[in-house]
Amino acid sequence: MLSNLLNEKTVRIADGKKLDWKTSIKEASKPLLEDGTILNGYVSSMIDVVEKEGPYINIGPGIALAHAQPNGFVNRVGMALLKTKDSIALTSKDHMINIWFVLAAVDSNSHLESIKELTKLLTDPNNVEKLLSANSVCDLLNVIKNVDLNFAVKRKEDKK
Amino acid sequence: MRLAAVCQSGMGTSFMVQMNIQNVLNDEGADTGNFELSHMDVGSATPDSADYFFIESTLETALGNLPKEKVVLLKSIIDADETKQKVNEILDKNKINHK
Repeated sequence: MLSNLLNEKTVRIADGKKLDWKTSIKEASKPLLEDGTILNGYVSSMIDVVEKEGPYINIGPGIALAHAQPNGFVNRVGMALLKTKDSIALTSKDHMINIWFVLAAVDSNSHLESIKELTKLLTDPNNVEKLLSANSVCDLLNVIKNVDLNFAVKRKEDKK
Repeated sequence: MRLAAVCQSGMGTSFMVQMNIQNVLNDEGADTGNFELSHMDVGSATPDSADYFFIESTLETALGNLPKEKVVLLKSIIDADETKQKVNEILDKNKINHK
């Protein structure tokens, strides 16, 4: 379930006034650093990827999914989310971001279920709109929990 | 037919794209037995490793080694409609039956 990874501990909100794209990724990563899911090296790797390859982590309108290869800096699968009330330019003004996801994976497979659920969340434009208009952690968590709920209902139906 | 989704690390966004392609093929009722889907990082994407490569537009220059006719550029990874349109173009071009 998405809410196993994205919950009260890992979802945060900030006004974003003092943040740029690098500090936003750092800020979004904080809960995962604090609980030992990732090490500082992983945060640097995620930033390096963007510096080298450009803003391709801008996966949809206002949304960034920061991630990198683990290279020993990830202890377990994890995800975090920071919403910045101000839009922040991810390397250029063509890529303005409010929703910063951080994804940490230990290998190429263990996190695929989480990505599946994240894709479910983000390919529905209604959910994206709700995330972008959310004003509190509670609002953000409600969107995530609803996706879990729909996912569970669908699974039950598939089994029938 | 081999369809590959490519991203810089081969871990996150490429799998999202692969899933979206899979969903389109299912929805379109295309015979999925004819398709081999995969996701990979930029370094693994050699011209012979797939018939079509789905990549996010900003990675185009990083993948200049791939033949242009094999490359499908996506503006938004999570835009299911865009993926659907691009997959259907491939199905049509290759005369594969779908809805």
